[in-house]
Amino acid sequence: MKKLELEFLGTFLRNRGAAAGLAVLALVGVAAASAGVLFPYSPWDMRGAPFMQPGEMEFVLGSDSLGRDVAAGIAYGARVSLLIGAVSTLVAVLLGITLGAIAGYAGGVVDDAIMRFTEFFQTVPSFMLAVVLVAIFSPSLGSIVAAIAIVSWPPVARVIRAEFLSLRSREFVQAAEVLGRSRSAIIFREILPNALSPIIVLASLMVASAILLESGLSFLGLGDPNMISWGFMIGAGRSVIRMAWWMSVFPGVAIFFTVLALNLVGEGLSDALNPRLARRR
Amino acid sequence: MSLLDVRNLTIALPPGADRAHAVEDVSFTLDAGEILCIVGESGSGKSVSAGAIMGLLPPALGVVRGSIVFEGRDLLGLAPTAMRLLRGSRIGMIFQEPMTALNPLMRVGEQIAEVLKVHGVGGSAARVRELIEAVQLPDPERITRSYPHLLSGGQRQRVMIAMALALEPAVLIADEPTTALDVTTQMQILGLIKEIQSRRGMGVLFITHDFGVVAEIADRVAVMQYGRIVEAGPAAQVLNAPQHSYTQALIAAVPHRARALATPPNGPPVLELIGVRKTYWRSGGLFAPRIGVPAVQDADLVLRKGETLGLVGESGSGKSTLARCVVNLVKPEEGAIRFGDTDLRRLMRRHWKPFRKRIQMIFQDPFASLNPRRRVGDIIAEGPISHGMARAAALRRAGELLALVQLDAGAAERFPHEFSGGQRQRIGIARALALEPELLIADEPVSALDVSVQAQILALLEDLRQRLGLTMLFITHDLRVAAQVCGRVAVMQRGVIVEQGATAEVFAAPRHPYTQSLLDSIPGRHWLPPVGQHSSR
Repeated sequence: MKKLELEFLGTFLRNRGAAAGLAVLALVGVAAASAGVLFPYSPWDMRGAPFMQPGEMEFVLGSDSLGRDVAAGIAYGARVSLLIGAVSTLVAVLLGITLGAIAGYAGGVVDDAIMRFTEFFQTVPSFMLAVVLVAIFSPSLGSIVAAIAIVSWPPVARVIRAEFLSLRSREFVQAAEVLGRSRSAIIFREILPNALSPIIVLASLMVASAILLESGLSFLGLGDPNMISWGFMIGAGRSVIRMAWWMSVFPGVAIFFTVLALNLVGEGLSDALNPRLARRR
Repeated sequence: MSLLDVRNLTIALPPGADRAHAVEDVSFTLDAGEILCIVGESGSGKSVSAGAIMGLLPPALGVVRGSIVFEGRDLLGLAPTAMRLLRGSRIGMIFQEPMTALNPLMRVGEQIAEVLKVHGVGGSAARVRELIEAVQLPDPERITRSYPHLLSGGQRQRVMIAMALALEPAVLIADEPTTALDVTTQMQILGLIKEIQSRRGMGVLFITHDFGVVAEIADRVAVMQYGRIVEAGPAAQVLNAPQHSYTQALIAAVPHRARALATPPNGPPVLELIGVRKTYWRSGGLFAPRIGVPAVQDADLVLRKGETLGLVGESGSGKSTLARCVVNLVKPEEGAIRFGDTDLRRLMRRHWKPFRKRIQMIFQDPFASLNPRRRVGDIIAEGPISHGMARAAALRRAGELLALVQLDAGAAERFPHEFSGGQRQRIGIARALALEPELLIADEPVSALDVSVQAQILALLEDLRQRLGLTMLFITHDLRVAAQVCGRVAVMQRGVIVEQGATAEVFAAPRHPYTQSLLDSIPGRHWLPPVGQHSSR
C-alpha cells in the first residue's frame, strides 16, 4: 500500500497544473493559519487613513473606505472561505453518500423515491435556494454552511448511486453476500471503498463551488456579520471601485486563484485516480 | 517462394515490462491455400505477431529487427499510405469481438459496401449481396438492411468475415475469431472459414489458444511461449507427437475423455431442486406491459452426497441463473430448493445465515471476484469472522487455507492485484472453503484461465473434493471440462434441463438432439490428446 500511495502521489504531481494548484492552496492555507501572526489585530480595526493606495503607510494592499487593512481582510477572509468550503463539502458529501448508497444498494421503490427527492433539489436554482435559506435562518456561519450543503449534495448522491448500481452486481459483492456478511458490512466494507475515487474528485470541485457560493452570499450582504470574507469585501468596495480599485480587485484575485487551484487539483486527482490514464503516462 | 515470410521478427516491449521482447526471433512462412495456427497462452506474443503483419502494433511497441515479406515486399519498410492500400485489399483481418467490431449506427450492407468504396472498387448492391451469400447468412435482403444489434454474435462474425473477404485478399489473419462465441456457433464459423479458404486458395493465419480448434482446422501449427516459437510443424505431428516439453505440457493439460464412473452415486440427497422457475422482467416502456424472459423453467435436479454434477449449456441457457437461485443471489418465483429438509426458497435473509456456512460458491472471473482494496488474508478470513470466529483465529485459519490451495503464507499480506489469474482463483477457492461448506457451487471456475492453469485448478478442486468429502455443482460451457470433472451432467438449453444422466452415458449416447449438436460441436472431437509421459497428473 505504501508503494501504491507513493506511485499515486507521483502520477498526481507529474501533472504540472495539479502541482501548481496544490502550491496555491498551500499558500492560501498558510495565509489563513498565520493571519493572527502577520496581522495581530482584528481585520475590522481602523488602522489609518481611508483610501490609501497599495504600498502607502503600512498598507501593502491599500486600505478601505474606513481605513481598514485590505491585506488583513484577505488573510482573515481565507479562514472563512476555507472553513466554509471544507465543512459544507463534508456535510454535503456525507449526506450524498448516505442517500446515494441507500438508493443504489436497495434499488426498486426506495431508489425511485430517493432519486425523485434528489431531482427536486436539482430543479431549483441552487444559488436562489441558498439565498432563500440563509435569509430565512438569518446569516450565520452555521446557516451558511447548512445552506451550501443542502444545495450541493445531489450530484454526490447521483454519482454514489451509479457506482453502487454497477458495483452491486460485481462478483466480489456477490461473494460477500454468499459468505453471509451483513448488509452494513457489504455497503461500508465492500462497496463504498471502491466507489470513493470519483467522490474525492467531485469533493475537491465542490469545495471550489462552495467558496464561490459563500462569496456570492456575502457579496449580497448575507455573510456572517462577525466574520470578514472575500465576498463581503468585494461588495463593500463595489460602490467606490473607480477611486479605490484595490478594495475589490485583491479579494477578487484571491477568490479567482483559490477556485482555479481547487479545479486544477480536482482535475489532477481525476487523472491520477483513473487507472487507464495513469498507465498511459 | 512463400506468400508471407516472417523472418527473425523481434519486437521490444516498453521498459519495465516482465520481459524485454514481446516476440523474439519469430520466423514462419504461410503459403497460399494453407491454414497456419499460432497457438499459445495469454501473453505469449501471438497477437503481437499478427498486429505486426497488419502494421497495427500499439505505439509503445517497436520492431527491433526482422522482416515480414509479403508478395515480394517488406511490410516493415512500407510507408503508412502504401500499408493502408494493402490492408483490407491484400491482407484481411477478423477480430475476436464481433460485438464491438461493427459500427452500431450503420446498416450491415452499407458497412460492407464501405470496405469496397474505400479501396475504390465501388460497392454495388449485387456485390454486397454476393458477399453476404458467400458467408451463408440467411435472408440476405433482410441482413443487408439490418443494423448490427439485430444480429447474433455468430451472424456478426459472419459479417466481419464478409468484410474481410470483400476484396479477395491473399491472406486472412484471424485473431481468436471464435473465442467469444458459443460452441455450436464456433463450429459453424470454423467450417465457414475452412470452406472459403479452400475455395479461394487463401492463406489463413489463425491465432488461437484452443488446441481443439487447432485440431479442427490447422494444416500447420506454430506453438508460442514467452514470445518465441518453441515448436512448429504439420498439425498431425505437433498434436499427436509433440516434441517440445511446453507443447507436451499444454496438450496434456487439455481435458481428456470422460473417466469411468467408479460407483453410481447413492449417498443421501444433499440438494434437491423441484420445479424451480425464474423469469426476468424487462420494462416495456411507460405504456407497454412488462416483458417476461424465462431464464429457468421447471428445473428438477438431485445432487447426492459426494458427487459432482455438471451443469452444461451455452451462454444464456440459464445455468448461472440456476446456480444463483441455490445461493439466493437470485430469487426464483416458483419451486422448491430443498437442502437437507429445509426449503431454502422460503427463508428470510436472517434465517439464511446458518446455511451460508454450508453452501459456498466459486465465481467465474478471478479478476472481479476479489475486492481490490482488501488484503488476501482479510478476504479469506471475512467469512468465518461474519459467522462469529475471533479475528486472530480466522486469520490463522486463512494461513492454513492458503497452504491448502498451494499458495505461500506471505500471500495473506498482499492485495489481489499482485496475483495472476490462476492464483486469484486459488484465493477464491480458499475463501469458499474457509466456512467448511458441504456443498460447493463452482460457476465456470476455469473458463477465464489459460489451459495449463485450468488443468492445475481442476486438479486442485478434484483433490479437495475427495479429501474434504465435498458435494459439487459444477457449471461449465466446456464439454471437455465437464467430461473430465463430473460424474453426472445436466444439459440446459434456453432455461430447460433437456437431459441428465451419468456423464459417460450422456456423452456416448445422447438422447436429446441439442445434446447431440453440442457434442458434435466440440472442436477437434475426433482428436484424442496423447497421454504422454509428461501428463499433468
